[in-house]
Amino acid sequence: MIQISEKYAGVATQHFLGMTYETRPMYYLKISQPSDNPKKIIWMDCGIHAREWIAPAFCQWFVKEILQNYKDNPRIGRFLRNLDFYVLPVLNIDGYIYTWTTDRLWRKSRSSHNNGTCFGTDLNRNFNVSWCSIGASKNCQDITFCGSGPVSEPETKAVSSFVESKKESIVCFLTMHSYGQLILTPYGYTKNKSSNHEELIQVGQKAANALKKKHGTNYRVGSSADILYATSGSSRDWARDIGIPFSYTFELRDNGTYGFILPAAQIQATCEETMEAVLSVLDDVYERYWNSDSAGKVTPATVVLGLLVSLVSIF
Amino acid sequence: MPPAASTPPAPRPGAPRPAALLLALALSLAGPGLQAAGPGPGSPGVPGVAGVPPPGLLRQAARAALHFLNFRAGSPSGLRVLAAVLRGRAATMRNPPALCFSVPLVISLGGSSVVGIFHQISSQNHVDARRTCRVDLEFTAERYGPEADGRLGRCSARVVFRRQQPRPAVNVTCARFMETSRRRREDLLLYKRAKRLRAPPGATSMPDSHGWIDPSLRPMWDLAFLGSSYVMWERTTQTLHYYMAQLSSVNQWKTNEDAIDFDYTVLLHEFSTQEIIPCRIHLVWYPGKPLKVKYHCQELHTAQEGSGTEGG
Repeated sequence: MIQISEKYAGVATQHFLGMTYETRPMYYLKISQPSDNPKKIIWMDCGIHAREWIAPAFCQWFVKEILQNYKDNPRIGRFLRNLDFYVLPVLNIDGYIYTWTTDRLWRKSRSSHNNGTCFGTDLNRNFNVSWCSIGASKNCQDITFCGSGPVSEPETKAVSSFVESKKESIVCFLTMHSYGQLILTPYGYTKNKSSNHEELIQVGQKAANALKKKHGTNYRVGSSADILYATSGSSRDWARDIGIPFSYTFELRDNGTYGFILPAAQIQATCEETMEAVLSVLDDVYERYWNSDSAGKVTPATVVLGLLVSLVSIF
Repeated sequence: MPPAASTPPAPRPGAPRPAALLLALALSLAGPGLQAAGPGPGSPGVPGVAGVPPPGLLRQAARAALHFLNFRAGSPSGLRVLAAVLRGRAATMRNPPALCFSVPLVISLGGSSVVGIFHQISSQNHVDARRTCRVDLEFTAERYGPEADGRLGRCSARVVFRRQQPRPAVNVTCARFMETSRRRREDLLLYKRAKRLRAPPGATSMPDSHGWIDPSLRPMWDLAFLGSSYVMWERTTQTLHYYMAQLSSVNQWKTNEDAIDFDYTVLLHEFSTQEIIPCRIHLVWYPGKPLKVKYHCQELHTAQEGSGTEGG
């Protein structure tokens, strides 16, 4: 991340968010073109669940695409006129490292409970929204353990304090997961729908269509309670309920053939198609707030894998 | 209607039949207004029909049917996975049949389009796991594995879920996506490659952390999936469904006798709880013969241990 902020100094800057349980620093990348006008914020986080490796890979790809193309690509360039991107490539750093060193299928954080006899909170059950009411467990041994209380975990605290402090400016909250090939809208804790549900579905469906055009991959769109399962304490639901209008969970490839252990050979295609989906959402968000009439032509992004490799080596 | 038999009836995997179409009789769909086209990709909705099964229930049934089919076919070259649900209906086993999912009493229409209303209604019907549920459905399946060429085969099935009990009763027919003779040839090739394989030493992870499966070890993976199909069929209910996440250890790989004798541990991923369940499986396979399989799954602290055996 340091390399990126150096190479793209002025546009990409690294900022401290908080510390993980195992005292590792959490940094987000702010991509912002300096200007006088006030900006709205797009938030993206990846890797809240440790084993979902394709998600942090996508966050890196996204950053690369924006930084490599904002100068030459009008579609991306116009976003940066009025939007700042805040990207947190790995939210659950401790868990992620644990999947590299010890257990590839670990999901939770690495916080210690019950006098060191039990480890890990499901960070996506730990947010302060209908906390632990449904689809989560009060038992630390379970994989959906909601923690000792709402926002009990330092990682959750770091993200929610920051997002809360910027909530007036954040228009879009995207949280990337795998697997399942889904675009999920609020809510998981109830079958009730958010006030802008219809619009969220429309925007989501358009994104799924754009995604499918790239490599033929099918994504389904719906509220979490409808098409996935009941959950409480999720970051997406919390973000929506503090007023962020566009809040989505993306569940990336695949559909169960490899699941969490997606072959490396599929990383690029997955990132390319997901990029189309996210750009589609951004188009809609941008239209809604800035009613742009200059629909810039989308030029195909040139792929520089060397940069991706160096991005990967940072983590 | 007689109660479902405790041993599931054998499926008819459509092996010797040349026709590509399904048996129409089980699916004449002439039920008392419970028939509907499921809201699968591209399929039109039936507006205002409150008895449309939740799409999740139809997918559950499709998965159970395919796991059962894969197990019964006993062919590691002929494994199939779900592509898409086409249509289906669900009812209890009583006479007259009732819905086996709950329907909200108040449905707000809010001026949405017809298809939008349909989607809203059907997605609000949720599975009632307390009732026995018979699901009749049509779906498409594709070949499992890297040889999948995008070709889809149509399947029809009747699946009975019994109040969250294991072993859903399955009656399933799928159009062949491969000539029988070719499948037999591929099984034989797999068998020969398996016989020449030396098991990797110790605890191995297949795939490795980066999703890589050594092509030479592919027969082992396919057989592991075949054995897991039995386990996953038994354990699939209205709400639980499984994927094979990883082959975590090979305890024994014996090829000196005629049959392949394979004792291994897989990690199954249960999707609705997100839990990882280690299962030790012991199978004996010979091309063309029914699969013999025993298993024992480690349960979470909350549930009981689960094991099963088939063939002998």
